[in-house]
Amino acid sequence: MDAIATEGLTKHYGSKWPSLRRVPGPGPVRALDDLTIVVRTGEIFGFLGPNGAGKSTAIRLLLGYLHPTAGAAHVLGLDVATAGAHLRGRIGYLPGGIALYAGLTGVQLLDYLAAFYVRPPSLRADLVERLELSRRDLGRPIRDYSRGMRQKIGIVQALQHDPELAILDEPSEGLDPLMQRAFYAILDERKAAGRTVFFSSHVLSEVERVCDRVAIIRAGRLVALERVGALLARRRRHVEARLDAPAPALIAALAGLPGITSLEARDDRLAFGLDGDVVALLRLLEGVPLADLTIEPARLEDAFLELYDEPARAEPPW
Amino acid sequence: MVSGNLFRRTWAAERVRLSLVMIALAIWGFLLPVVYATFGSEMGALASNPAFANVFDVMSRFTGGDVFSISGTVALGLVHPIALALVAIAVIGFAAGAVAGERQRGTLEVLLARPLERRALYATLLVAMLLFAALAEVAILAGIVAGAALFGVAAGLRTIDLALCWLNGVALFGALGAVALAASVSFDRVAPAMGIALGVTIVGYAVDFLGTLWPNAAWLLPISPFRYFEPTRILAGTFDPLDMLVLAALFAAAVGWAAWIFPRRDLAAPS
Repeated sequence: MDAIATEGLTKHYGSKWPSLRRVPGPGPVRALDDLTIVVRTGEIFGFLGPNGAGKSTAIRLLLGYLHPTAGAAHVLGLDVATAGAHLRGRIGYLPGGIALYAGLTGVQLLDYLAAFYVRPPSLRADLVERLELSRRDLGRPIRDYSRGMRQKIGIVQALQHDPELAILDEPSEGLDPLMQRAFYAILDERKAAGRTVFFSSHVLSEVERVCDRVAIIRAGRLVALERVGALLARRRRHVEARLDAPAPALIAALAGLPGITSLEARDDRLAFGLDGDVVALLRLLEGVPLADLTIEPARLEDAFLELYDEPARAEPPW
Repeated sequence: MVSGNLFRRTWAAERVRLSLVMIALAIWGFLLPVVYATFGSEMGALASNPAFANVFDVMSRFTGGDVFSISGTVALGLVHPIALALVAIAVIGFAAGAVAGERQRGTLEVLLARPLERRALYATLLVAMLLFAALAEVAILAGIVAGAALFGVAAGLRTIDLALCWLNGVALFGALGAVALAASVSFDRVAPAMGIALGVTIVGYAVDFLGTLWPNAAWLLPISPFRYFEPTRILAGTFDPLDMLVLAALFAAAVGWAAWIFPRRDLAAPS
């Protein structure tokens, strides 16, 4: 069973008829268009896109806050449109920029939210300890909490009942680097326990660090869906080589090697871009008098920016 | 259908405001028999004087009661604008902000991420609203009965009449609270929900006031919910059960709308 499966999930806001539109414009707002993804049980799935790309709309559709204009979504094997409260009992959700009951103390809030579930908050003590929320912190009203503290409480409320699926919207927002590291370790343990994490973010380094696969959406449309490793393997690396002696034959050979771009040679230095496999390059460099070689790792950020640099697909007629 | 956890939290959040309103209503109710016991006979003699009869008649119609009799005192305690405003704070103020307030603050999405159906959320808040209306009306009547008993003027009060007055008050504020709650589930912000709730209440009261005092506007009376709140007629033994049915119909219409719209509406990300 897949943790999440969407089929042509689409959400448009507003009316086709101008007189019924709240916001003037050429037509309905297409927040999400034809999203088809599968999130496998036990994986950490990254959902990427800049602000306004449709990430939150997709999440709200999965949770039943929004009703799709077209398409369907199944979460933990249940149809979101009909599953209702039973399904949400198996999910943990951290909204982006979470709002909490300011008048409650941390422990009152956690008790209140946990009391809706059949499952006991079995992970609370561990999460509280690892996110360094002291007993004193939990006894203070939430209105006195810093942004980072609110985010920690948000993470605890989402995960304390050991949900089968955690949907986390910008979860590390406001966490300091130490707490981010603790949070990533928690996610790794969720995965090791066979739980699924659906992780929305625009912090690409953390997605690269924790996610198995990523979906990238742009203007409400899916533009990439693959393993992080595969996405990076296809991306351009920057290579710099310093030679002990000039090697004109090497330059000619490099120019003919598939995947080599922007080749620059100056004195004993070579610089170029490398798309795809490094093995062919390393074979070519065998026996070459190298003084130094630097291959910068491909970064998700580059892949992301590359996908966003591509021209948008043709708009459908309305 | 009703969430005990949400109900307890709602009670905890509202208990201070409700307690203050109930204390104010009880004091208000207590004072009226005191006034009746102290000045009632003199005021009654004055009211029966032909020179002032018309003025007192208009005044008693305006206030919906008087302090010349114990039944008039009970009616005055229930329908006076001070009492109505206090009950409205507890019932309509709560209902209008109950869902729209959570939505505006952004806490509704945290709440609805739990295994809690939207209809169960609505039903819980509806029950809480009805309880608040019931307690507020109890507070006024308790004050009146306590005052009347303490000053020895309780002889004319019948338990059945008081129970009917309580029920009629709960029906009125139950209906107005249901309208407020229906508005609350329909909007993302408190202001429009509160505007509709107060609009219905204030316009309803103004229409009742106008229709009662100005015969040319009497045709407007049936559209006001306050027209069907009749403690005077209950205490006089001329109560029309149809009044209660009209309020029940308004309650049912508001509940029907809310139960239909709330599960169907989109809850977009808070802006």
